[in-house]
Formats: sequence, structure tokens, C-alpha cells
Amino acid sequence: MSLLIKKVTIANAGQDEIQLADVWIENGTIKQIGQDLKTSAEREIDGQGKVLLPGMYDMHVHLREPGAEVKETIASGTEAAINGGITGLVMMPNTTPCIDSAAIVRTIREIAAEDSRIPLQIAGSITKGRAGVELSGVDGMRKLGVKMLTDDPSPVADPSVLMRAMEYASELGLFFASHCATPELQNDRAINHGEISYQLGIKGTPACGEEMCIDRDIRLAQHAGAHVHIQHVSTAAGVEIIRQWKARGASVSAEVTPHHLMFDESCIGNYDTNFKVCPPLRLRDDCEALLAGLNDGTIDVIATDHAPHTPFEKLQDFMTAPNGIIGLETALISLFDRFVSEGKLSWSTLAASFSANPRKLMGEAPAVIAEGEAANLVLFDPAGETTFSAANFKSNSQNTPFIDQTLKGAVELVVLGDKTLKA
Amino acid sequence: MIRKDLLDIESLSRAEIEELLDQAVPFKDLFTRSVKKVPALKGKTVLNLFYEPSTRTLSSFEVAAKRLSADVTNFDVPHSSVVKGESVKDTIDTLQSMRTDYIIVRNKLSGLPGVIARETKASVINAGDGQHAHPTQALLDGFTFREVFPQTDGRRILIVGDILHSRVARSTTNLMRKIGVEVAWLGPGPLVPKHGPKGVRRFTNYEEAMAWAPDVVYLLRVQMERQDVQYFPSLREYHKLYGVTTERFKQIEDNGTYIMHPGPVNRGVELCDAVMDYSKSLINTQVENGIAARMAVLYSLKPGTSEDSAS
Repeated sequence: MSLLIKKVTIANAGQDEIQLADVWIENGTIKQIGQDLKTSAEREIDGQGKVLLPGMYDMHVHLREPGAEVKETIASGTEAAINGGITGLVMMPNTTPCIDSAAIVRTIREIAAEDSRIPLQIAGSITKGRAGVELSGVDGMRKLGVKMLTDDPSPVADPSVLMRAMEYASELGLFFASHCATPELQNDRAINHGEISYQLGIKGTPACGEEMCIDRDIRLAQHAGAHVHIQHVSTAAGVEIIRQWKARGASVSAEVTPHHLMFDESCIGNYDTNFKVCPPLRLRDDCEALLAGLNDGTIDVIATDHAPHTPFEKLQDFMTAPNGIIGLETALISLFDRFVSEGKLSWSTLAASFSANPRKLMGEAPAVIAEGEAANLVLFDPAGETTFSAANFKSNSQNTPFIDQTLKGAVELVVLGDKTLKA
Repeated sequence: MIRKDLLDIESLSRAEIEELLDQAVPFKDLFTRSVKKVPALKGKTVLNLFYEPSTRTLSSFEVAAKRLSADVTNFDVPHSSVVKGESVKDTIDTLQSMRTDYIIVRNKLSGLPGVIARETKASVINAGDGQHAHPTQALLDGFTFREVFPQTDGRRILIVGDILHSRVARSTTNLMRKIGVEVAWLGPGPLVPKHGPKGVRRFTNYEEAMAWAPDVVYLLRVQMERQDVQYFPSLREYHKLYGVTTERFKQIEDNGTYIMHPGPVNRGVELCDAVMDYSKSLINTQVENGIAARMAVLYSLKPGTSEDSAS
């Protein structure tokens, strides 16, 4: 592959000044960056008005293979990622069977080697069958490349089980990701406890249940000497707890989803199941605290919690419909539409939280747009627009609040190594 | 009123509510005649789809539909069966194929009638969905209230009991507020929501609530079957703190306060025996008015129209 992108705006993590230059990519490597480059590149793209970003990295994805391939497969999910400008991801262990042993990790690796055009990491479960009782086959999974353990989308309810798991597996070099919730307070209802849950007559999940568990899991990790990554924080007090623990030097990182940044409980309206997510959408003040936490570095990572479900399932009543929405294809564009284009989030912070930071946590090589670096990049057109119609999705599912909406921004080109993944 | 479905009170305007209440008046007059039937819905089919056991509401709807000359079918849902999500969509498809004109649904899932309404051309009437809504109960309550107080604006109703889990409390609160009645709630702390509609007073002390001088005290039924999770220590303590005890009944009589209750009552819990014979108890009137109110709803809805009250 041989490509020259002319006069493009370059966005990297940690670089606040905007660099406008030509970028020459040759044989999978960024060969040269400079003004008015004269090159032998076979293809030339006018980059004026466009932004060149490092490939995004999503460390919280539910691929449904094996077990629920009608919702998503490794092939469809990774193609959806590419479509949304994501060049690497971590899949969660709640497949059927659950990812709790070397055997299942091996199977998935084999499928991914055939079906995925992007690197895919596999998160192992903390407990067998994510049942919260016996520890999974940790070392076998580690030998096959598993770095992170989580029982997502469940917490490990019994703190003694989590403590033992942390004491054991952190010695083997693994770290933990926590879906924070207190089951006794949760009632299995993905709706915030408050005005909307009252109106709709559904028992809500109070914010304090999630916040207690965030604090609990960081304390347990501190005790065990483990690193814990707090998944999809949804409340202002949750952000504050993480901020305080970071100030005390705890080994903790945290993520937020695009939907928790953008939507609040009022979006559910009259039982719209495309806003049924777990943890639930909270209040407008929580959205703002999450964005502030992302901007001040308390929250390290943006991750989608991509959760595909069939139209049949989501068309059921709100209480019966499953939790979750898809995000791989909508994340970057909606983050641009809602925040970057409004000046509420910089390209640099976006590149840090949606590329550099999760790659670092997962032990991946960084994606940087600089001379000599491997090509891992996304050309984004802020002047373009994207319509999220069913036909435009690569995902097998379309359960998203953005269905049939047109948002500002478009992913024009995705390059990974010497391959153009999306052109 | 151009409306296919009746799913909740929230989406109704005051004018629509009053139209329905006005419509119930001639139907109630009908009950005193020897022939209690009108041909309004002759040739129409009404399907009762009750997933939860109910005798009172089911009979009330059945009588209402028959007095309008509709054909009534009770879809046989075993009382013991818990509706699995998977089967709901299939059930709706089956019902759609039967081409009934009205579907009256009761289900433990909040919001389910809206899903059925979305998927079928029939008029869907919510006869109680989970903890969400019970709009015909609210209409009969409003009708009963208006019979006693024709000018509703500025009147006061105190709703007592398990507000949190009660679809009756939700719908009746909404309706009363829409017709200008001030609403207050009284009950044990965990059962009186802190996130209710703005403007609803929240009491957890009986004496304070009565000092607010309500025109009507509306007692909710204590759901005995819900006592697996403890929200208050005992029924005895509930009666002492929130029930109309013999001593408190004297005050109610002295003040001339009316009593309402959606039934069936638990004597010695929500109220003492004496209340049942009280001249200002509207409990039996509510039952009678329920038929008239439900006739008004069946009469007013427009099956097969494109307007959708779910939106």
C-alpha cells in the first residue's frame, strides 16, 4: 500500500496543537510527514478539512460468538468496529459458553484468526460460568494471551471471592475489570431509581448500589495489590470516588461509555428499549460529571459496551427486553457530533481516551501518527455526515438510539498496517 | 375523543378526561332501568386478556362490554402461568389474526399494553400493568369524586398506603391532579416515593396528613402477597400508624371526610369495621361506577384508527 494524504489535520493523544501536514504511508509505515511532500505514492487523497486520527480501540465489546451468532459474530462485530474507525478491541467473556478456560479462549482465537481483520483480545471471566463462586482457569487463559479478567456484565457479588481472585491472579500479571453493582439493590432492572422509574412503574436501580461497589472493588484491589479497571461509570459520585482513590495513589483506571456521556434517564420516555442499558442512564448532572471526569483525566478510557440484540428482543416490553445497545459504529461519530464539534471534548483527549489509554492498559503497541510508526489510522471528515440506517450497519444488530438518525461526521478511511480496511 | 387506546392517564388531557367522565353519566342512569343494555357495540368483539388473576376488574369489564351489546371473549391465560417475554409477541400476532375490536389487558409487566397497542389495530385498554397504570380505576375514582364534588378544583384527596408499588396510586394521582384536585400521599417511608410528581405532598405521619384537611381519604389495599420483602414490621403496626382505627374514625366522621378504597378491603388493616357502614364511604359506589366508566371508555375509543395514544 502506498498512500499520500494531503494537507490533513493530525490529531494525536497528548498533542493539543493542531498540526496540518501531508502524511505519506508506504508499506504499512508512516514514511514521512511534512509540508508539500513530493512522493511516489500511488494514491493521493485530499485531506483538507479532514482529521487524521490514530485507530480507535474499544476495550469493552460484547461479541456474541459463540452462542448467539444471530446477534453478532466475530466477523460481523469486527467489521462493525472497522466501519466505526476502531482498529482493535477486547471482547467480554459472557458468551455461551462463558470464556472461563483455555479451551474456549483457544476456540475463539482460532475463529478470530480466520474472521477478524483487526487484533482482538479476549477478556476471561473471573469465576467459572461468571457464577461468582469458583475461580476460572486463570493461568491457562493467561498463556493464551488473556490479560484482563472480568465477570461483566455482572459484578462478583461475594467480596471474599473477588479478593481471593485478585490475590491469586494479580501475582500472575493479570488485572481486573469490574462491572460495579450491588445485586441486592439492583432488582435486575436497567432503569435509574428516580422520577422516570416511578412514572413507568418499574423498580429502579439506585446510584448508591453502583457507587458502593466501585469503592468496594478499589478497596479490594488495594488490599490484594491488584490493578482494577472500573467499567462504564455512570454516576457523578462514582467519578468522585475514583478521583479520590487516584489522589491517594490507588492502582485504578476507569471507563465511560458514549451513551452515559450523552443520554439521561428522561430519554427512556415511553419505554424506549433502545435506552435500556446497564448500568442505567442516570441524570443530566451525572452526564456532565462524567464528561468533566473524562476531560480532567479521572476517567481514562472511552469504551462502547457494544451489546447487540435482535429487533425481536428489543421490541418486547421494557421490563423483558435485554439490556444494552450497540456502539462500535456510532461511538466515534456521535462523540464528534455531540462533543468535539461543540468544543466540549478535544481531539487530543478523544485520541487519548479512545485509543492511547486503552491500548496501554491492554499492553498493545500505541497508535501514533508520527514518522516511522506503523500505520494505524482513521481519516475522519467533520464536514461529512452519517445516516445510521439498518442497511448501513455492518453489525448484525441495530439496537441503537441513533437508528435512522443522521449525525455530523463520517469515517472515510481506516488503515491498519499495509491494509486499507475501509476505503 | 379520537384515540385508539387507553394505556395510561398521563397522556390524556383534562378535556379528554372530562369527556369520558361526562360520557359515563348516561350509562350510569341506564343501570336503574329494567333493561340495562344499549346496542352501541353490537357486532363488536371484546377480548379480555388477563394474565393476572382478577375477579373484580374482569367482571366489571365483562358487564360493561355486555351492557354495550358487544360479544365478549375471555382469552384463557392460566392464572399460574408467568408470561414469558418470548411468547408475548406471538400472542399479539395471534390476537391480531382474530380481528377483535377491543383488547382489555392486565399483566404484571409495566408497559406491556403499550407494546400490544403498537402491534395491533384493535383498541387496547390497560386494565392494570405492573406498577405502572390502571387508567379505568382512575376514571371510576374521578367519576365517583365528581359525583360528590361537582366542582373538583381545589378539593383535596389524601391517598394512603403503598404508593410505591401501586398502579392505582399512580393513575388516580395523575387523574385527580388533571381535574384540579390537590393530592397528598401518606404511608410508610419506603413506600412513599421521593421522586413523585412535583406538587404532590408527601406525608409519613397520619396526624400531619389529616391536619392538611382532605375532603377524601383514599385507602390503598395492603398487598398481603407482597409481604415477602418487609417494608413495615407488621400489619398491626401498619394499622396503628396508617390505618383508620376506631379512634381515628371518630375524627373522620366529625369532619365529614369521605372514604374511598379500590377494593377488596382488608378489615383491621387499612380500616376498622365501622368504616364499612359509614354513610360517607364511597367504596360500593366505586364498584358501580366502575361499570359506567368502563362503558364510557369502550364507547369512546376508536379501534383501527391510526392515532396512537402510546406516542
